[in-house]
Amino acid sequence: MKIPPKEMFNAHLLFFVMHGAQIGVGVQGFQRIIYQDAHQDAWISVLLAGIATHIVTFFMIRTLEMYGSNDLYGIHQDIFGRWIGNVFNVIYVLYCFIAFFSVLRNYIEVIQAWIFPNIGEWFLASTLLLIIIYAFTAGLRVMVGVSFFSVILSLWLVLMLGFPLKFASVNNLLPILETDFRSILKGAHSMTFTIIGFEILMVIYPFVQDKKQVSKYAHLSLLATTTIYVAVMVVSLMYYSGGEIQRTVWATLTLFSFISFPFIERFEFIVVCFWMLIIIPNLCLYAWAAYRGTIRLINISSTKFIWLFALLIFLGTLVVQTRFQINGMDTKLSRAAFYIVFLYPILLWLIVIMRKKVMMKK
Amino acid sequence: MIFKRLLDKQQSSPPMEAPPTNVEPIANTAQLFIQAIQAATHYPDDLIVKSLSPTLTLLYINHLVDNQTLNDHIIAPLQVNTTTTPEAVIDTLSVADIQHGSILAEAIDALVHGAALIHVAGYSKVIFASIITRETRALSTPENESQVIGTQVGFNESLATNISLIRRYIISPDLCHKKITIGRRTHTAVSLIYIHGIASEQMVNTVQQRLTDLRIDALIDSAVLAEMIDDNSLSVFPQMLLTERPDRFCDGLLDGKVGIVVDGSSMAVICPQSFSEFFQSQEDQNLRWPIATFVRLLRLAAFFLSVYLTPFYVAALTFHYEVIPQAFIVPLSESRALVPFPPIFEALLLEIIIELLREAGARLPTKIGQTIGIVGGIVIGTAAVQAGITSNILLIIIALSALASFTSPSYMMGNVVRLIRFPIILLAGYWGFYGIMLAFCFLLIHLLRQSSLGAPYLSPFYPPRFKDMRDSIIRMPIPLTAKRPTFTRPTDEYKFNPDEPIKPKKS
Repeated sequence: MKIPPKEMFNAHLLFFVMHGAQIGVGVQGFQRIIYQDAHQDAWISVLLAGIATHIVTFFMIRTLEMYGSNDLYGIHQDIFGRWIGNVFNVIYVLYCFIAFFSVLRNYIEVIQAWIFPNIGEWFLASTLLLIIIYAFTAGLRVMVGVSFFSVILSLWLVLMLGFPLKFASVNNLLPILETDFRSILKGAHSMTFTIIGFEILMVIYPFVQDKKQVSKYAHLSLLATTTIYVAVMVVSLMYYSGGEIQRTVWATLTLFSFISFPFIERFEFIVVCFWMLIIIPNLCLYAWAAYRGTIRLINISSTKFIWLFALLIFLGTLVVQTRFQINGMDTKLSRAAFYIVFLYPILLWLIVIMRKKVMMKK
Repeated sequence: MIFKRLLDKQQSSPPMEAPPTNVEPIANTAQLFIQAIQAATHYPDDLIVKSLSPTLTLLYINHLVDNQTLNDHIIAPLQVNTTTTPEAVIDTLSVADIQHGSILAEAIDALVHGAALIHVAGYSKVIFASIITRETRALSTPENESQVIGTQVGFNESLATNISLIRRYIISPDLCHKKITIGRRTHTAVSLIYIHGIASEQMVNTVQQRLTDLRIDALIDSAVLAEMIDDNSLSVFPQMLLTERPDRFCDGLLDGKVGIVVDGSSMAVICPQSFSEFFQSQEDQNLRWPIATFVRLLRLAAFFLSVYLTPFYVAALTFHYEVIPQAFIVPLSESRALVPFPPIFEALLLEIIIELLREAGARLPTKIGQTIGIVGGIVIGTAAVQAGITSNILLIIIALSALASFTSPSYMMGNVVRLIRFPIILLAGYWGFYGIMLAFCFLLIHLLRQSSLGAPYLSPFYPPRFKDMRDSIIRMPIPLTAKRPTFTRPTDEYKFNPDEPIKPKKS
């Protein structure tokens, strides 16, 4: 599939795309889950998960480079043939769909829990979906732009991490490496839900103008994400006591709640709403990734696709209602994502390498 | 999408009639020629027919031609030496713009464009001597874009005057000027101006294409033209700059932009224009750079303040009391204690009062307008607070955001700021900060979707171009801003060599 140069974007924007796709709803409350396994060494788990993303991305880029300008869906069709390849494509589209849904549903839950307990899910879902449709119908350039502004305009949130430091105690981090390595790894595994998003590279790669720069910016964006995650984790560990962190569902949001300025207090009200800007790139990019896969399967226009997609998501929000269901969904998605995002790209690289060797022999 | 389709349908539905190809020749007797002209112009009372000699007949439309020239350079010489051939007449007249033709339609066209027609009996040929004079006012200071430091001259309604003003600022053979006539009925002269060697040829072609493709009845003002030829006519945001300042216009041309001047309109159009440039004033170039930077940042802050301050008040008071600090909530609740309305109603009421005052002030004659503004503002403001229908604090906020909305150097953008506040207030009143954020995201995506002549509207922020940011919401010192903005795709990228000092070392 040839991509018109007008739709391509500069390699340095890939930084914002991948970074914007990674940071989303997970970071609002990942501390509790990691802490359960890794305790005060949770930050090491986060670091390990970050390193894992670098490794996986390295293999992803190696695979993609071998194909030049083809995305994951095209590679599937090439390796496994049209039919089996399409089965894999369907799985990946489904994965994107569920990831999209999970981000949306979690955000709706946060809004309901923190600000508007009485507002209907249908209202929040439909307004957010309309915004996504508006961005999606404008094409990839606008979606990349949204990711760019999302990252730039959210930078000030990182500075806000300085406020809790006043009440932080370094002693909470000690002793380092008390937890056994297995638990730390288990904690790293629990990071999956928070850290996924960078797999968008597999789909967006053909749209990057200067392919040589891809690996530089991809790794830079992963580095930025890991740094932020580790920083958030370290600050949370120092700020909360062990028991507290296990009882706080959205620890990151709670961190913001005591920040106050002369003209404003209870900062989390603003942050929770502002988070919309952070999840919009998530949603746009997952929808777009699903679209790229769908057009390989059936002939559908982008407008028709996004309305249908939004309708399905909307119906989904009406079905998945309780905290229990959402939690179950997140866990299942996280488990699936571990295989799809972390293990599969390495496997794919092996298959591609083997296939190349076999072809060479012939 | 639907709107676009509707628009396309509307534009394509009326079948455009081909321009009349009238090739009727001119009669060789004066009698028949006069009759034909009178019939074609529907017997106007200001059509003057004058017989100069038995063979020569002069026709012109009174008040459209310059009487002085007519008397001295046409009537006088022709009465002195009575010539009998068209060639001899042309030689006799001392008028610069003189042509001849043999088709009736041409003659009528020349007549309404301010030519005196001279018919020589026995020849089916007529001479057009263009001696047009159009009423025009003297040059004055730009009323809508006033500035303290800088030139104090604005465009007026005469195309010729405006072009001469532009040619005074840019004395160069590279200044290109193309004339296009628009309007089936009005035949308005429109000038396309750009600098060869700076402006991107593709952009010039695009503008020219859009201008020549226009199939409209009449064109009265350049604002209408700007709305018709921009990229998205349905958006509330203007995508082309309307300016009445020749210096601003020329500065745009020197940045590689394309300018359009419309006859009869005192505003010229400059395109492409990015969003951030609407918040720049020409005065910024004349001030020292730290001051210019400060003023630009102030305007940007004013934009956000103006759009989001009132909604923030409404949202905080309706849903999120928690965000208001304790020390502040006491005076706030005291001032609101008597107010019987919910914050959203209170805010909308005051916003509409401010808009009414503004509109009344704009429509009334200047002297009364000022009085109404002051009296209305003070009387209504004080009375509203004392009557207990609004709070003092909201009054301050509304006045502040109204004031902030007037800081935009472009009146068109100021209007946008005033308008988009209303839906955001409504969203804030119903869904609090969530509503405000929805509006913010929508606006962001909307701005990202826009383009100006195909150039990204949010340039230089997206796509990010760090060199261009030196002259965007900040202004760096002139030696550092050697590069022309990238989004105009200029042929010549640099204003001067950035590696060499632009001024010799001081001794």
